[in-house]
Formats: sequence, structure tokens, C-alpha cells
Amino acid sequence: MTDALDTLRQEVRLWLEGNAPQDWRDHCTTEEAFVDLQRSWFATLAKGGYAVPHWPAGWPGGGRGLAEQKVIYEEFARADTPRLLLSFMSTYHAASTLFEWGSEAQRQYYIPRILDGEIWCQGFSEPNAGSDLASLKTRAERQGDVYIVNGQKLWSTMGQFADKCLLLVRTSSEGAKQAGLTYLLLDLKAKGVTVRPIHQIHGDEEFAEVFLDNVEIPVTDRLGKEGQGWAVAQSTLSSERGLTLLELSARMRGALWRIGDLIRANGRDNDSGILRDFGRLATKVDAACAVADQFLANRIAGEERVGDASIVKLSYSRTLRGFTSLGLRIGGMDTQYHDPITFGGGMETGNWMADFMNSYAWTIAGGSDEVQRNIIAERLLGMPREPKSWTLKEAVA
Amino acid sequence: MSMTRAELQDAADKAFGQSDLAPDAEKAWGLIAEMGFLMMAVPEAQGGLGLGLEAAGVVHDALGRVLVPGPAIAQMLVIEALNAADTLADRDSLIERAVGGEVMTASLALRNSATLLTCVPNADRASHVLLVEEARIALLPMDGLTITPRDTWDKTRRLFDVSVDGSTPQIILAEGNASTALAQRLSMQRSFALAADSLGGANATLRLTIDYLETRHQFDRPLALFQALKHRVADLKTAIVAAEALLWERASDRAMDAITMGALKAHACNVYRMVTEEAVQLHGGIGLTMEHHCHLFLKRAMLNAALGGDADHWEEETGRQALGQAIA
Ligand SMILES: Cc1cc2nc3c(=O)[nH]c(=O)nc-3n(C[C@H](O)[C@H](O)[C@H](O)COP(=O)(O)OP(=O)(O)OC[C@H]3O[C@@H](n4cnc5c(N)ncnc54)[C@H](O)[C@@H]3O)c2cc1C
Repeated sequence: MTDALDTLRQEVRLWLEGNAPQDWRDHCTTEEAFVDLQRSWFATLAKGGYAVPHWPAGWPGGGRGLAEQKVIYEEFARADTPRLLLSFMSTYHAASTLFEWGSEAQRQYYIPRILDGEIWCQGFSEPNAGSDLASLKTRAERQGDVYIVNGQKLWSTMGQFADKCLLLVRTSSEGAKQAGLTYLLLDLKAKGVTVRPIHQIHGDEEFAEVFLDNVEIPVTDRLGKEGQGWAVAQSTLSSERGLTLLELSARMRGALWRIGDLIRANGRDNDSGILRDFGRLATKVDAACAVADQFLANRIAGEERVGDASIVKLSYSRTLRGFTSLGLRIGGMDTQYHDPITFGGGMETGNWMADFMNSYAWTIAGGSDEVQRNIIAERLLGMPREPKSWTLKEAVA
Repeated sequence: MSMTRAELQDAADKAFGQSDLAPDAEKAWGLIAEMGFLMMAVPEAQGGLGLGLEAAGVVHDALGRVLVPGPAIAQMLVIEALNAADTLADRDSLIERAVGGEVMTASLALRNSATLLTCVPNADRASHVLLVEEARIALLPMDGLTITPRDTWDKTRRLFDVSVDGSTPQIILAEGNASTALAQRLSMQRSFALAADSLGGANATLRLTIDYLETRHQFDRPLALFQALKHRVADLKTAIVAAEALLWERASDRAMDAITMGALKAHACNVYRMVTEEAVQLHGGIGLTMEHHCHLFLKRAMLNAALGGDADHWEEETGRQALGQAIA
């Protein structure tokens, strides 16, 4: 077993020597360069068979065991390759949801296109439906073989570069909020779709808003049944909360050298306080990796429980905040000067202020830390749930 | 391994899961020996189960959950040291006596002098004590050694100082390089056992706290309905689950060393402390009394944090090691 893994490690390392982009951090400071690099690097990975190790067996590049995936991610982190930001939603969110809910025809149609480089984004959130996602208002009305969709989506990561969108819409306002939702696959090139990029806190444009004006979506592009959208969306969210974090936590571990570098560069090698904080962080990062590994192993064994993914996400997001904060602290005044940010550098570019601000993406996106805490307390630990309705009268009384 | 972790866990739960917190010391010790818990790490060739660290983790976790008193961690260190002493003539009989429940103890402190061993559990009942020095590891018969009981806040462990004098006869278990290697192994074992005990305790404390929050009503509702409290509980749960994942990962990793295990110990003890400190707070006034069980866990958590090297020590060592590795 270990021998096979060592062989794989050598294989990946050798392959990366010949194929990993070099010096990309230096020129990846414009959006064009970012998109070019992301596309070409994804194509190279797909050809090399390393783009989607987490996919099930039977698909090119898929069927890698947990231990193999770890080796691959560790080597990527070690070679400091760009993180696949642009195709992240396609290979994780879209693919996982399609594998779980797609019909055979839908899978055969969409999955190969993802490997060909088609970009997906996720259109769940709306201006008035963030944490309370189930209250979303974007409406889809069925007319014969199509749904007519009207509304607005917000915070769609990579939406401005995407070809397709995982779209959660309301098809009914009867009964429970969740029961009226339906899951559609939207072609962003369709008539009536407008996408507008939004500047993120550090100046990068990583997400977009999407306006839908009488957009037609064929009924054949529905995942699951009408009204089943909430259940389908849980697959997407669980992928975001669990699976992706295997890669991200491995990358965070791989990036510990950045803090090590900083400690040396600032002559803090013998500062006990700094060493302790670094040591404590290194162990926390290991724990975040271990819990992501355990999550995936449980999922493969069919033992995932509601709330497990929330633990993985909460532990990652808090650790990442700690990681970037420590970098900021040791980096001192230097981190206050504005350096150009590296697009697609991940959360650990060594541009500490940008990395720190970026860590909020994980404490807010995909269900905020507070929402994860609610899920853990109520679903995993069985504590009583919040009363459903709220009125001003009750609050005052 | 022949028994899965789940099977072992079942057995440990059956033995201790139903009992009261901090059960009777004599009975518990008998049960530990009877269940074969002490022979788990002993190689099959010497009549043991050959199960290794993972199994030890299950046992110490179970003991930590119900605050089982006694010298189980110290005893396992002695057994590990005896295992390694393959040239010792009466090794097998010593092992047999040790796994049968005859108390052979060891210091749980990080450092000792050649003349004074501190933090030695149950020295008053022991036939032998383990002496670990850089150049030599030996088993000393207790006869004639001076012991001083130390009254600890944590009543679930009884600790002693043991004075060793030069004339004490010694059963040498390892010397030179072999001794250095064995000392590292013993340090790893001690850290690992304390980590497992801590996470068992942390889990039990969290359960206790949730049960309390669900039963206790204030402002016409169970406390468990208050989000400010739920969120703290969720954070504790997350910290415990991540630390447990790390524990089991490190249990099965053969490349571990004393520092990496020390880091695990520091991490697990930090989590245990955090959980028990929060537990007292979340229990309100009752949490501050001897009537309620909270304080038992808090005191054991504080003792675990101090035994075997504190977090300051291990975190600094880990930082230095990580710095070396990060740059390599
Ligand atoms: C970088 C980034 C990328 C994103 N990408 C996407 C994407 O690709 N697709 C998509 O659909 N969405 C995306 N989102 C949206 C994301 O899912 C929402 O921002 C998130 O769910 C929070 O919703 P909100 O912003 O409306 O905040 P709100 O829901 O208004 O929350 C504001 C604050 O109140 C807290 N809060 C809310 N409800 C509760 C509660 N019940 N108990 C306690 N505290 C509560 C929150 O935790 C938060 O701190 C992204 C967001 C970010 C930041």
C-alpha cells in the first residue's frame, strides 16, 4: 500500500516537474492572465489525469482512493501550482450534484464537458436569501417543455467567467418554504441572462450577480423532481462543506512554509512565543486535515451524518483565520503596504492582508460559521431548534 | 489488527460505560486487568494481543470518559519498556505479573532527576517503579524506596514522589542507544495516552453539559434553545471531533516521533481544558459545587495538561520542528 503511494508520489512529482506552470505568481496579477492560466492549467491537468481524482471510477482521472487524493494534493501544494479556482465549482459542486442526482443522460452530457473545461457557477443566494436560503424568490413557471425564470442571484463565485449555473428556484409558494424549490441547470449564454461582476473586499472580482429576465430553461435540464430542489441543493452544499476541504486543508498544510519563511526572515527563530504559536497552529492545521480525511472516509463508507460536513467546514474556516492572522502578525508593518494580489493563488499566497481578508470567504460563504454552528448544535447534537416564526408582538411581549 | 477499533470500543464501553463517574479504584483496576486491557500492546509472542497504539487509545479514552482512577497509563509504560527488554532473563514472568494487574508504576512527569521521580501514580501499591534516564532505563523494586504522597486537586489520580538512592538494586531494561530510542517511545506512549484520556473526558463533559442545557429552564424555555449557548457547544464539538480525528490519524502513523505526539497531547489537553472550563460556566452556580460532577473533569483536565510536559513545552518544540521542516 505504502509502496504504491510512494510510486504515485514519484509519478506526480515527475509529472509536475514537466508540466507545472512556473513563475505564474509574478504575472498572474491581471484578470486576463488569471483566466488564461486557469484554463490552460486545467486542460494540462485533465490530460495528465490529475484534474478530478475525487470523481468516481469510470470517469477519466477519477476513482482515486482517499490516500491517493491526499498524495496528489500534497504534491500540488508542494509544487505551488495554481489552485483551480475557475473550475472548482464545475469539478466539485456541479459534478458531485450530477453524480448524485443526474439522470444517465444528464451525466453523459454534462460530465465530459466539465472535463473539456466548461465552467460552472452556483446560483443559490439572493439579495434577501443568504443564510435563510430557503426563502429565495427567483421564480420558475413551467410552460410546456420549458421553465420561464425571473429573478436575481447574488454572490455567484466565478459567475462572470462561467458557462453554466446551478440554479435554485421557486416553483411553488405553497407549504413549507423548502418544499417549493426546484433545481435547474442554467445556460448562462441563454437569452435574458445578465451577469455583472462584483468587487470583493481586496479588490479582486471573484463573484458576480446574475439577473434573469424571462429566461427559458428546458425541463430536461432539471435535476431531481419539481419540488425536490432543497434535497438536491444539500448535495451541492455538502460537497462544498466537506469534499473540497480535503484539497484546501492539504494545501493549507503545504503552505505552512510561508509562515516558517516569515519567522526566519524576521529573525524570530528563537522567539519562544512565536514558536509556540506556530507549533500550535501546525497541530491545528493537522487536525483540520485529519477531520477532512475522516469525513471523506465516512462518506465513502456511507456513514456520513447530517452536520458532519459542517464540522469540517467550521474547523477549516477557524483554522484558516488563525493561519492568516498569524502571518499578518509576524509580517508586521510590511503587510500593511498594498502589494498586487495574485489571482488564483488560493488562500495562502503569502500576501498576508489579502489572504486574511480572503479567509472570510470561508467563514461566510457556503453557510456562515454561525449557520454551521446552528446545524451542529441542532442536527448533530440534537439541541432544540429555533422557533419557526417570529413576530414583532412576540418579541416585545 | 485482529479486533477492530469499534469492537474494542464496545468492550470498553461495556466494562466502564455504565459505571458511575470516578468508580471505586480497586474494582476498576481489577476490571482493567480482567478485560485484558493491559495485555493489548504486548506482542503475541509474549502472550499479549499485539494491538498497538490504536487499542491503547480506545482504552484510555474509555477510562477518561468515566474518570477511572488508577495507574493505567504508568502501567502501560512499564509494560512497553519490558517488551523492549528482550535480553532480560525473567522478562516474561514480569510481563505476566504486570498484565495480570500487579501494580508496576512509572513517573508521568516530563523530566525527573536520577534521585527523585515525581508524579508517580499509586506508588504505595506498586511492586516496581520505572526509572527512565537518558543512558539507562531500569525497573526498580519499590522495597526500601522512600515515597511521599502528594495531595492533588484531582482526586481521581493518586500521585507520589519516589526517592531513589544509589544502592537501590536495578533491573536494567535498556542502555545506550537502545535506551534513547525506548525513552522516545515511552514519551510518545505517555503523550498519546494522556491525549486519549483527555478526549474521552472532553466528550463526556460535553455530553453532561448538553444534557444540563436541555433540562434546565430559565426565561420559560430550556437553556439549550439559546443560540449564544448552542454556538459555544457547537464550537466545543467541532474542536473535539477534529482533535479525535488527529488522535486516530497519529495512532496509525508509524512515522510519529516524541514531539509530534507531544503536540497531539498539548492539542488534546487544550481542547479538554476549554471544554471543561466552558462546562463549569454553562452549568451556572451548580457547576461551581462539589455536588455536581463538572469539577471532577475540570480538575483532571488541569492535571492532564500539566503531566507529561505542558503545552508551552510541546508547542515550542513543535514550532521549532515545523520551522525546520517548513524550510527543508
Ligand atoms: C466569497 C463568497 C463567495 C460566495 N459564493 C457563492 C456562490 O457561488 N453561490 C451562491 O449562491 N452564494 C455564494 N455566496 C453567498 C453565501 O452563501 C452567503 O453570503 C452566505 O450564505 C451568507 O448570507 P448573507 O451574505 O446574506 O448574510 P446574512 O444571512 O445576512 O448574515 C449576516 C450575518 O448574520 C449571521 N446570521 C444569519 N442568520 C443567522 C442565524 N440564524 N443565527 C445566527 N447568525 C445568523 C450570519 O452568520 C452573518 O454573520 C458567496 C459568499 C461569499 C462571501
